Parts: sequence; structure tokens; C-alpha cells
Amino acid sequence: MGSMKAFFNSILNVSVAAWLCVCMSVGSVVLAFLGATRAGEWMARTPNLVAVGLLTLGLGISGLRAISRKRYDSSLFHVGCALIMAGWLVGQVAIRTENRDHPVNGMMAMIDGDRSDQLFKGPRLDTFVGRVPFTVALEKFTVERYPPRQADEEGAVKEYRSRVTITEPGKAPRSEDIRVNHPAYVKGFHIYQMSWGSSYDALGRPVQYTVLQFIRDPGLPVVYTGFAVLFAGILWFASRFFSLKKGGA
Amino acid sequence: MDLKETPQGFLIYVTMAAFLATAILLKTRWKELGRGFWFAGFVAALVSLVYRGIHTEHPPMQNLFEFFLCMAVALWPLSRLSRYQTGADTDFQDAVLGLIILFPAGFVFSEELRRLPPALQSPLFIPHVGSYVAAYIILARSAFMALPLFKAVGPLLPGDPRYGELFRADAVSRQTAAMGFVLMTVGLFLGSLWGKICWGHYWQWDPKEMWSLATWFMYGAYFHCRLKFGLRSPLLLAVLLWIGFLFVILTLTWINVSRLFSGMHTYA
Repeated sequence: MGSMKAFFNSILNVSVAAWLCVCMSVGSVVLAFLGATRAGEWMARTPNLVAVGLLTLGLGISGLRAISRKRYDSSLFHVGCALIMAGWLVGQVAIRTENRDHPVNGMMAMIDGDRSDQLFKGPRLDTFVGRVPFTVALEKFTVERYPPRQADEEGAVKEYRSRVTITEPGKAPRSEDIRVNHPAYVKGFHIYQMSWGSSYDALGRPVQYTVLQFIRDPGLPVVYTGFAVLFAGILWFASRFFSLKKGGA
Repeated sequence: MDLKETPQGFLIYVTMAAFLATAILLKTRWKELGRGFWFAGFVAALVSLVYRGIHTEHPPMQNLFEFFLCMAVALWPLSRLSRYQTGADTDFQDAVLGLIILFPAGFVFSEELRRLPPALQSPLFIPHVGSYVAAYIILARSAFMALPLFKAVGPLLPGDPRYGELFRADAVSRQTAAMGFVLMTVGLFLGSLWGKICWGHYWQWDPKEMWSLATWFMYGAYFHCRLKFGLRSPLLLAVLLWIGFLFVILTLTWINVSRLFSGMHTYA
């Protein structure tokens, strides 16, 4: 037991933490240069998931150890970070084990009156991803605009709104408005107003279509728990600094 | 570089003139007059921001121009707060900082009015951007407060003739950095939450997110070093605070403007 404690103290100490912070800071800058897509793909590779897992473990142990030192803000802070990373790992596992009955991310392009439970991906939305365990029918898609500031221009878009009817098996259908910043939540899926465009229907009449994005992330409750713990920690930390006496720190 | 020949531009230049007068007068024997100008500068900055908000018909936090106006307003209250908390007199330093901040707002950034797109219509808009405005200003002030620490060579010992000054510089810069770090964490956390609600993911590996995270980690390194070494290496602490501040400057300028880092956060 004593040797294990010594081992943990030798790899989980303040100097190591400072170095890790510097390394991750530099690493973040490197990933910023790669751009979002490549950075995300690189982070999802197995060695990086293992590294994040080890870091999660280290942060968790450090956080729990801080309780015995009565540094409760530090404890909440480190445990919160560990939970957020653990939740991210759960999400990554879900992405890797995704199949047609359990998709994690896909889209539906719809015009008024369409009904579907099938998700697609790809630039032309023609690659089948899987089915969601409910159906979505688009009642009406509307685009609202601001009044134009000059008479000769079209006003900027104020709101995209997809009014949908969601039918879960064994339940009464319900209507929901999906807007930017107002996703719907159905059976583990968040449904987002993602995009829209103009096209023609089968008879050659002009129509507006909406693109809804469906995202399932089983790690999200863990991430949100981490957010809450981290937030509690930062408030504790702040209160400690605000309660310092005048002139001292 | 161009002059803004508009009421908005006039308000910005009045604020800058007041900040300049503050900085000059505080170095003369008319210090009280300088403090008067300092408060007048704050009022002018506030009027400028409110005017912008009314003119653009949304909270003035959409682009860099509006972000910098917000930062200029935050200076005077933060100056008062840190005097109340630590007794440090940072009026001169903050007035100079105000001049530097308002320079791009007055002469570089466009004041073109833009409607708030759907993505920015959220109750999290003001808290997310507001905590970053305050955090960046506070971290800049912390870096300036740490300047005396660069004079230290080797560990700081109680017998040192500059012990009092350097001890104080460390204490106030650390307390200020802590406040900035708290706000930066809150901004990161709110941004993450908003990202999930608006874009579908709480983390997108977006270049601006990565730079913010890099800044956050740099201050994390500072606090761990402060904990580990204390005043045994004041120079290291000053260097870390200035690297953090450099990251803040880069985030506000290069990362926002450069196409190299375009991504989800391209509103500016």
C-alpha cells in the first residue's frame, strides 16, 4: 500500500501537472493549426483515446487525493475535468460501435409533408446511416427575415423553423418546433435545425427543404455531470480568492 | 487605418482622449484631475457601448469591434475592484491598456451594422462572451502587474532590498490571474454548453476553441508552478503570465482575423 502511494505521488505531483499543462497547451496550438476536421479525426485515433483515458485516471486520482488534503476546490476541479473527459470517451466508444440500429449522427433532408425515420450522411446526403426508433414528419419549414435596412436588399435571416410531428411507438404523436439553438430531444437523440436550401419537387415546382441533424451521445450525462462538478469547483476557488484579506494573497 | 466620422467614432475618440489625459495627468502633480478624467473616460466608454447597442439593435458583443468596446468599459470598474481587494493602484496601467484596446476599435475595425444571426440568438450569448471580455481584460491587467517580477534573478528571499515590491507584485498578479482564470473557465464551460445546444457538440476542435484551451492550460501551468515553487522562481511566474497574455492577444487578433484559423467561431 505504501509503495503504491509512493508510486502515485511520483507520477501525480504538481511538477508533473505543470509540465502536462504546458505540453497540452502547446498540443492545443498544434491542433489549432490542423483545423477542426483533422484535429477531431486525429484525436479519435486509438493511441490518443488511451492517452486521454490515462489522463482521466490521473486527474480523477489527483482529485480524490485532494480531498484528504482538504483542498476541496482543487478536488472538484480535477474530478470535474476527469468526468468531462470520461464522458467524451464514452461518446467516442459509441461512435466506434455505431450500427444501423444504433446510429450516432445522421441527417434528414425534408420538404413539407415528408415523413421518415432514416438518417443519411455525406455531402449529398445519399449514404444511409441507420434508422432512429421514432418517425419525424415535417409539417412546415419557414424562414423568417429581419426587415431590410436598405430598401433594395433582402433582410438577413432571423429564424429557421421546422415544425415537426414526432411519433414514438406506443405514444401519441407530438408537435415540436425545431429552431437553431432550440433542438428537440427524443429517445436519446438531439434533433437540430442544421441547414436549408431551395430545390424542386417531383413535379418541377420550387420548394424549400430543411436539413435536420440527429445526434446521439450516451456520454453526455457524464459530461454534464463533469460540467456541474467543475462549475462548483471554480465557484469555490473564486470564493476563496474573493474572501482574501485586503492587501494579502 | 481610417478615421470614423460618425457619432460612434466621436464617442470612441472622446474616450481615448480621456484615457490619454488620465495617463498623462497621473504622472504629474494633478493626480486628482487624472482620476477625474479616468472616471469620465469610463462614462464615455459606457455611452459609446450603449449607443452601439441601440444602433445595432442587439447586445453589442457580436464582432471584434463590439468586443473591444466592451473591454474598454470593463477597465474602470475592474480597476476599482482590484484597489478594493488588494489596495493596488493600477489606474495608470489601466488607462494605457484602455488606449491600446480602443486603438483598433477607433481606427481599424469596421463599425458596419450586422443583424444577429440565428446561431447567436441565445440566452448564453451575453454570459459566454461577457465572461471572456472580463477574463481577457483581467488577464491583461495581471500580466502588467507581474512586470516587476522580471527584475528578479533567482529566488526571492526576505533579505532582498526589493522583497516588499516583488512580494506585492506576485500577490496582486496572482489574485488577478485567479479572477481571470475563473472567468475564463466559466466562459469555456458556457461556450461548451452553448455549442451542444446550437451546433450539436460540446467540443468541435475548432481553432478558436483550441487557442482558448491552450490559454487555459497555460494559466493552469502558472497556478501549478506557483503552488510548487512559490517565490523561489518569480521570473518563471512572470514568463508564464506573459505567455498566457500573449495567447490572449493572439486569440483576439490573429486567430480572429486569419483565414488559417477559420471555423465555427468566424463571426468577427
